[in-house]
Amino acid sequence: MKLAGEIIAYVVFALVVGALSVWPRYELITQEQAIISIAFVHAGERVGECRKLTQEELNALPPNMRKPTECPRERHPLRVELRSGTDMLYSDVLLPSGLWSDGKSNVYQRIVVAAGRHDLFVGMNDRGGEQGFNYEQSVTLDLSSGRNVVIRFDEKQHRFDIR
Amino acid sequence: MLAMLQKAGRAGFELLRRPLSRAFEHDQNPLNHLGALTIYLLWIVLISGIWLLIFFRTSVNGAFESVEYLTNQQWYLGGIMRSLHRYASDAAIVTILVHIVKEFVFDRYRRNRWFNWITGIPLIWMIFPLGITGYWLVWDELAQYVAINSAELLDRIPIFTDSMAGNFLSDDLLSDRFFTLMAFLHLIGLPIFLVFGIWLHVFRLNGPRINPPQRMMAAMLICMLVLSAVFPAISHEKANLAMTPQMLKFDWYYLHVFPLIQTWSPGAVWLLLVGISSLIMIAPWLPPARKRQVAVVSLDNCNGCKRCVDDCPFGALQLLPRSDGQSYEHEAVVDSGLCISCGICVGACPTATPFRTRSELVPGIDLPELPAADIRTAIREAGAVLEGEQRVIAFGCAGEKSVQELRKAGASVVEVACMGQLPPAFIDFVLSRDHADGVLLLGCQDGNCNYRYGAEWTEQRLARERDPRLRQRVNSEMIACAWQSPWCDSGNALAAYRRFGETL
Repeated sequence: MKLAGEIIAYVVFALVVGALSVWPRYELITQEQAIISIAFVHAGERVGECRKLTQEELNALPPNMRKPTECPRERHPLRVELRSGTDMLYSDVLLPSGLWSDGKSNVYQRIVVAAGRHDLFVGMNDRGGEQGFNYEQSVTLDLSSGRNVVIRFDEKQHRFDIR
Repeated sequence: MLAMLQKAGRAGFELLRRPLSRAFEHDQNPLNHLGALTIYLLWIVLISGIWLLIFFRTSVNGAFESVEYLTNQQWYLGGIMRSLHRYASDAAIVTILVHIVKEFVFDRYRRNRWFNWITGIPLIWMIFPLGITGYWLVWDELAQYVAINSAELLDRIPIFTDSMAGNFLSDDLLSDRFFTLMAFLHLIGLPIFLVFGIWLHVFRLNGPRINPPQRMMAAMLICMLVLSAVFPAISHEKANLAMTPQMLKFDWYYLHVFPLIQTWSPGAVWLLLVGISSLIMIAPWLPPARKRQVAVVSLDNCNGCKRCVDDCPFGALQLLPRSDGQSYEHEAVVDSGLCISCGICVGACPTATPFRTRSELVPGIDLPELPAADIRTAIREAGAVLEGEQRVIAFGCAGEKSVQELRKAGASVVEVACMGQLPPAFIDFVLSRDHADGVLLLGCQDGNCNYRYGAEWTEQRLARERDPRLRQRVNSEMIACAWQSPWCDSGNALAAYRRFGETL
C-alpha cells in the first residue's frame, strides 16, 4: 500500500516537473505582428567648438600639458524619432554616457508593430536643438508576420541602415 | 503579522504534507530531505551535463547541431541525458522552493539559524543564471528569446558602455566567442561558485545531510529517467535573428521572470528581484525572534564525555581543556552564537538521570528555561492523574500542534523543547517508577524534527544504538514513537495515543 502511494507521489512530482517545463506556452507576438528594433551606439557632437590656445595661455601651462587646442568634453544628447506613417513608434532623448557626459549615447528599443506595410521614417539629431534632424531616412517596408527589422546607424557612411 | 503568515503557510504546507506522510515512511518522505534532495538533483545535472559537454560544440552553428545530434541521432543516451539534465534542473527548483517555504513557515530561519538562511540566497542567484545560460547554449528559438531578454536585463546595469542586446539583432553580429563565454559561465564559472556556496550554506551544521537515503535517490533517479523517456526534451527551430518566434514552449521554472521584462521594464524587474532578495535577506530580523537562554554547562556534573558535542545538530558545543582544576581532561563549552536551545545536548548527557535523589537533579548540561528537574516534576504530576491499566504519558515537542490536541482531550502530556532533549533514563523512570504503563513520544510531525536530529537520535537511543542507551530492563513495547509506523497511520496524535493505550 505504501509502495503504491510512493509511486503515485513520484508520478505526480514528475508530472508537475514535466508540465511546467514546457507548458503553458508563451506567446511572444501574435500572428499579425512583427518587430522593429532600433539599436545603435553613436556619439553626439561636442557641445562647443575646439579653440586654439593663445601663446600666453600655453606659457601658463606646465610644459607637458601644452596642447595647442582645447576641446570641451561634453557631448550633445541624441534626439531620435521613429515613425510609421503618422504613428510615433519611438521618440527619445538619449544622454551621453560617462561621468563627464563625453561618451557615446546608446539607442536600443524593440517595438512590436502590426505586420504589413509600413512607411518608416527615422531621424536623429546629434547637434542639439529642439527642431529638425541632421540624419534622417524614409523607407517603405512590407513586414511579414514575425519579421525582425533592424535599424542601425552606419558610422562610416553616416546614414541609417534599415534591414 | 509574521505569526499569521507562518500559520497560513503551515496550513498550506499541511495540504502537501498530509498525502505525502501517508505515502511515505517518515525517513523516506522527500519533505524531510529537501536540502539533500536538491544536492542530489544537482549531482544528476552535473553527471548528465558532462555527457552533453563531450558532444557539445561551442560555435553559432555547431551549438544547435550538436544538441540536435544528441537529441535525435543519439536519443537512446544523449537524448536521455539531455532530458535528465533539464528535468533534474527543474526538479531542483521545486525542491528549493519547498525547502525555503518550509523553513520559513516552521520558523527555522531566525535566531541563530540566520546564517544558513542568508547563505541560501546567493545559491538562488547562482542556480537561476546557471539554468538560463543552459538555455542559451542550445541556440534555438527559445535560446534566441532568452539571449535577447537576458541581454536587455543586463544592459540595465549601468556598468556596460555598449548595448549587449544589440549583439542579438542579426546573425552577422553574433560570433562563436559568445558561445565560448556562455559555455565557460555555464560549465565552469557558475558551478564552482555554486559548490562553494553549498559548502558555505551547510558548513556550520554538525553532520549536514548531503545525501538523501539511498532508496530515495534510486526512486528519484527512476522518476527522472521515466519522465525523460516519456517526454524527451527537444529543441525549438534553430535560432533565426531575422525572425521572432510567435509561440514558445516555456520553462517556467527558470524563465518565469522574462515575460515581465516586456510587460514592465528591465529596471522594474531588477527592482523586483533585488527587492525580494533583500526582503528574504533581512527576514530573520523581521522582527527579531525572542532570544532563548542557551544551554548551560554545570562543570560540577560535566566529565567532558563529548556526547553532547557529538549530538548537537548545530555545532554549538566544543570540548576545551578543563578550566576548573578537576581531574577530567576536557569540559563542554557552549557557543552562545550557535546554540538554539533545542536541548538535544541534555538528552545526550549521561548525568541527566531522574533517579538522582540524594543530590539535586542538575545534569552536566541543561536548558535554563526547561531544566531536566522540571521535566521530572512534570512526569510525576502527569502520572499522578492517570488511572486504570492503560496509563500513557505522552512527551511532546514545545509548540507542536499535537501537544495542544492531546491536552485539550485531557491526556497526560509532558512538554520538552525537542524530543532529543529527553534522555532514555526519563522513559525508564516513567515505567519503572510506575508513573504510567506506556510512553508515547509525539515528536515533530512526521519525525521531521524542528532541530534536525531530535527524532533520529531518539530512535537510536531507544534502539540502544546510541549513547545514552535505554536500559535493557525497559520493555520496548511499552514505548511508541508517533512518527513511526503503525502509529503515524492513526490520522492524528490523539488517535495514536488512544490506539497505543489499547495495546498495553
